[in-house]
Amino acid sequence: MPIFRWEQSWNPLRDLEREVDRLIQGVEFSVQGIRMPRQYPAVNIFELDHEFLITAELPGMQVEDLDLTIANSVLTLKGHRNPPVIDDGEIPEERFRRQERPFGEWQRSISIPDRISEEHLSAEFNEGVLKIHLPKLEEELPRQIPVSSGE
Amino acid sequence: MSRQHNPEEEPREIAHPEQYVFTPPIDIYETEQGLVLYADLPGVSVNSLELQVQDNKLTLLGRVEPQIPEGARPLHKEYEVGNYLRSFILSGEIVHSEIEAKLTNGVLRIFLPKAPKAEPRRIQVNTG
Repeated sequence: MPIFRWEQSWNPLRDLEREVDRLIQGVEFSVQGIRMPRQYPAVNIFELDHEFLITAELPGMQVEDLDLTIANSVLTLKGHRNPPVIDDGEIPEERFRRQERPFGEWQRSISIPDRISEEHLSAEFNEGVLKIHLPKLEEELPRQIPVSSGE
Repeated sequence: MSRQHNPEEEPREIAHPEQYVFTPPIDIYETEQGLVLYADLPGVSVNSLELQVQDNKLTLLGRVEPQIPEGARPLHKEYEVGNYLRSFILSGEIVHSEIEAKLTNGVLRIFLPKAPKAEPRRIQVNTG
């Protein structure tokens, strides 16, 4: 009686699949909410009494690799996320079993309300979440404009 | 900032929260020593992460507390905040007691060491 699998000789791909499954034998998907493809990074914008708040999920970023600029009421977020490395070099493609995380350069520009204090803008980065605080400008009181007669 | 699996610790029942649960994106690559798994878990701190190995099932649950101040009115929303849950069936080749994990800036790195392969042993055949 043969003790090897008879199909081994004609379907090497199936064997490869089995080899993968042998180490990671299936992945269970426990999903209630599915994250659809979207701009990177996705942002949420909130308004509070004294400020606007922008949040963005940027897992794996380093603070020093984040670049935030503001000009003409446009806030620009820029950065680069490095892929995992091994022995200071890139991991060869054939070593990957799954590759789902995005890497590389990214940039996102967001129009912000005019009435913010650009000098007092601040940002914090914790646990892969960026928060940008945009303090509102003090409400200006109506200013009387003197009208001179043309005589 | 690392959390090591303790084989003597009784596996706890992971509670399923009643809010959004997302499957985090992962990378898995193989080295000679074992498998390395990365998972993106933005908003998860080391205290709100549960990693569990029971029998041959590895489960990760990252709890995310929405950190938006009270009274904040959403003007524009592109993503929901929720917990992360994903589980894997490990092969017998992985040494469960030596699994290591580290969480940095919302990225979890798990090292799954493979047991060293046994050297081939010659079996003496005796004549009858």
